[in-house]
Amino acid sequence: MSCKIGRLAAWAAVSALAIVASAQGAGAEPLDLKIGALLESTGPLSELGPPAEKAINLSATVANKAAKDAGVEAKVTIVSADSQGDPQAALSATRTLVDKGASCIMGPSTTPESISVLNGITMQRKITLWPLASSTRLRTVKDDGTIYRPVPADDLQSKALVKAIENHVGKGKAVAIIFRNEPYGDALSKSFTTDWQAEGGTISSTISFDPQQESFDSEAGQAVDTNPDAYVVIDYPETYAKLGAALVRTGKFDAKKVFVADALSFAKVPDNIPPEALEGAYGVAGGSPTGTDAFKAFNKLWDEAGGVANASYTANSFDAAILCFLSAVEAGSTEPGAIRDKIRSVTKDGAPQFTIETLADAVKTAATGKEIDYVGVSGAFRFKDNGDPSSSLYDVFQYQGGKQVKIEQVNVK
Amino acid sequence: MSIDFWINVGVLAGIYGIFTLGLQLNAGFTGLLNFGQAGFMAIGAYTVGILVVDRGWSLWLALPAGIVLAVLAGLFVGIASLRLRSDHFAIATIAFAEIVRYTLQNAAFSGGNQGVLGFDAEWRAVSDWMLPWLATIGLGAYTQLPLFIVVWLAFVALLLMMKGLQATPWGRVLRGIREDEDATAALGKDVFAYKLQSLALAAALAAVAGFFVALNVTYLYPTVFDPTFTFFGYALLVLGGFASYGGVALGSVLFWTLLEGTRLIETSLSAGQQASLRFIIVGVFLLLISRLRPQGLLGNVNEMRVRP
Amino acid sequence: MTDTTQTERTEARASVLSSALAALPRPALLLAVLIVLLCALVIAFGPVRALQATVNGFVAGSYTGLGAIGLTLVLGVLKLVNFAHGDLLVTGAYFTILFAWLGLPLPLAMLTAMLATAALALATEKIIWQPLRLAKAGSLQLFLSAIGLGLVLRFTVQFFAGSQVRTLGANVVTSIAIGPLRLGTLQALALVVGISAMVIVGLVLRFTSIGKEMRAFADNRALAEVSGIDTQHIINVTWIASGFLAALSGILYATAIGSFNPNFGITLLLSLFAATVLGGIGNPYGALVGGLVIGLSQEWSTLLFNARWKPAVGFALLILMLMFMPQGIFGRAKRRS
Repeated sequence: MSCKIGRLAAWAAVSALAIVASAQGAGAEPLDLKIGALLESTGPLSELGPPAEKAINLSATVANKAAKDAGVEAKVTIVSADSQGDPQAALSATRTLVDKGASCIMGPSTTPESISVLNGITMQRKITLWPLASSTRLRTVKDDGTIYRPVPADDLQSKALVKAIENHVGKGKAVAIIFRNEPYGDALSKSFTTDWQAEGGTISSTISFDPQQESFDSEAGQAVDTNPDAYVVIDYPETYAKLGAALVRTGKFDAKKVFVADALSFAKVPDNIPPEALEGAYGVAGGSPTGTDAFKAFNKLWDEAGGVANASYTANSFDAAILCFLSAVEAGSTEPGAIRDKIRSVTKDGAPQFTIETLADAVKTAATGKEIDYVGVSGAFRFKDNGDPSSSLYDVFQYQGGKQVKIEQVNVK
Repeated sequence: MSIDFWINVGVLAGIYGIFTLGLQLNAGFTGLLNFGQAGFMAIGAYTVGILVVDRGWSLWLALPAGIVLAVLAGLFVGIASLRLRSDHFAIATIAFAEIVRYTLQNAAFSGGNQGVLGFDAEWRAVSDWMLPWLATIGLGAYTQLPLFIVVWLAFVALLLMMKGLQATPWGRVLRGIREDEDATAALGKDVFAYKLQSLALAAALAAVAGFFVALNVTYLYPTVFDPTFTFFGYALLVLGGFASYGGVALGSVLFWTLLEGTRLIETSLSAGQQASLRFIIVGVFLLLISRLRPQGLLGNVNEMRVRP
Repeated sequence: MTDTTQTERTEARASVLSSALAALPRPALLLAVLIVLLCALVIAFGPVRALQATVNGFVAGSYTGLGAIGLTLVLGVLKLVNFAHGDLLVTGAYFTILFAWLGLPLPLAMLTAMLATAALALATEKIIWQPLRLAKAGSLQLFLSAIGLGLVLRFTVQFFAGSQVRTLGANVVTSIAIGPLRLGTLQALALVVGISAMVIVGLVLRFTSIGKEMRAFADNRALAEVSGIDTQHIINVTWIASGFLAALSGILYATAIGSFNPNFGITLLLSLFAATVLGGIGNPYGALVGGLVIGLSQEWSTLLFNARWKPAVGFALLILMLMFMPQGIFGRAKRRS
């Protein structure tokens, strides 16, 4: 008996669903979007894994809530795999993501991983890849419009650094560059050197350090000894914790002379970095100032969720996943190529603007097929033809009392 | 569970198989603990990449050049350090491999931190030529299949070659050196020269593996060639069986099935925990295999004498 | 036996230069070389820069040197290439975090962590190494097991603690001024602890009965067994000491560096082995001195080249030392006769 009733109920439910579905008309099938997270969970960059994982998971929570509030039948699930920070392992990891039905892939963090994944898997399947790698090298390969970078490429950032230093220290001064010996620091330091010298400035020393060393006192001493007017520091938080401490220990270091690149941009200075190493330091971060409220909302969400502390690029990872979701809603499809073709329709200059706080409205509008402009936590997205952010607006910020405070905005056209 | 995923596992198993044939020759048949194999591989791969990109060489001419350079590096390392005690030799070779890696990362000729890119056009042409042919038997959708086929053809050919070499008088002298170096020397054999040849041949095999790594990842970057590569090689060597070339093939397939297959375990854990669990499983497996079957799956207990 | 004959052959073929130099005691020779180098650097770069690089070298060296003391014991006494040693350092640091989180005050948490790591090291002997030894496993099997154990330890830590960066919250920015030179307060502490640990381990090996037995066992296992020494007891003590020292150095490293994640052991590992081999396997003074020599050469090299070449300099030095001083700085004379 009960079995029969159960079956009847099931049939009733199915037909009810069918009616609802058909009432919504064609193309309104419930979206079941899988977003792939290619994370550095193990390997030499494993400190980047947990914050990126949390950011992408948060985006799914926010997106699902927005879809529910908007009354749009769409669901986001995160599937993740460990790239191990290694191009070879990233290939295997990406294959598992594709097998699990990922329509977009967030990450990885390095250019070698990105290129190997692009050539090996994603380009052929039109899957959009959202790497956090900022090297200009990434743009020397053919990508068929599948690579969208949520972070600005190095060449713009170096110009922003030049402007920031000119505004706060002065033109034509002596600058010491300290960078972590990796593609990111290497490329950015080179373009900064060119740009700074073109503006009549001098470079007092360029010091690159191996991230796997245990102490950086000699490196710090060399940078301080040249008595520069400003320091440009291109580093990740994990190593800056050691380098910054070493700089302070020299006794001749003034954190107010420091200008950090975007990998050291965070709402709050992390616990592991000695406060003295960043207090009063300046920095640049790509994006536009309209994102400020969204930035606060995101940081509130982050803190409420508990778990790992906020880190650099988490807002960019979060935004990238939201863009994938909105594009899928706009396309009414989870087919990777369809999503790829709609990314510019959800970041349309001049279309109605939405942020993380008005995401439900964004979903509602996108579901009707109208163009929107999602202004992310990390700023508005204006993608160039090659998929890099074109925004020439950079925030110059300063760390005051352990918190990031926006000072001004520079335009680096 | 897709075919693509397992083709990729097969490619890795083939590449590591070629790489480990060299380790088997050194450790399994000569008694030399060569831990610099990743360095030879890097030299081979980078030579190919640099010659193609900077000098405009053909990929197919660059491969033999890469092998030659790796062999020269093998001879150099051998002449400098083969007279050391065997554990010191192991450490000297690992130090050599690390110097190679840091040089590639910091020098201008190797592209430094930005690596070498854009050397694989000729391989893609071959791959694109093979795909329609594969499509006629219904396998055209698997873009990595051409690489898989070529890697395994090379692996099997090299494996048979190594097996053949082992049966020659030359191979028997090597085994003699492993068993008792002084007795072999007393028979009038130049032990040093034989060891040097063994090391140089292993370096050549590493260069071939490096060539395929380059084709697989399409981007040469120093961290690809870190010592972990050599450690994994030894792990699958011991797994497959000491002093057995067939064991290398079996060990490589099993090792990569385990290492990559563990990605497919579904849990409700966080991504970080899931990734950790994978390596815990691999670690436990390595502990179990060396405890339960110390000679490896196809190894012979009597062959297991390597001097400390 | 094989070792001895091989060493003899190496010696016989060694160059005239090295045999002439071998007439001097090696530590004295090394000290002389280091002093000459330092003088050259002082002349070339001025006393402040050269001496500051020297101070930095001592600091960098003390981290690896201290870590290598536990490693050299296991390598010397048990002839085991313990690739999991770096991960024991990590375990020590994370045990500290665990016990502190459970509510113990930090110093007590550190001490408990050292004891817990020592217990863990003993457990690995019982569960892994003893059965392998009884099965007469070859060196490659032992090596593979060590890699496996290292993976299990590191990723068990990561499973529970995550891979994000941690800190023990010590103040790492204060420094002591010695004239124009600067030395971090915690770095000075690391150096002092390193030297104390070396002296204590050295004295224990030299003067206590267990220390003498350990040395006898290291020199000739078979002889030690027939002369009635309780070999299993020696092995147990070696593991406990190695685990304790690993945790001590891991905790000190984590405190003085101020920022770490579960990878720090594996990144330190090659330096630890280099220090052990340079110093002469099995010798605690050698481990620390080996670490200091590597540290000094790397930091001195920053005066000459860009700092990014530092690791390559360390490895090049290791190869040169192996070629010209194969027994290490404090290698035992017994092997030479």
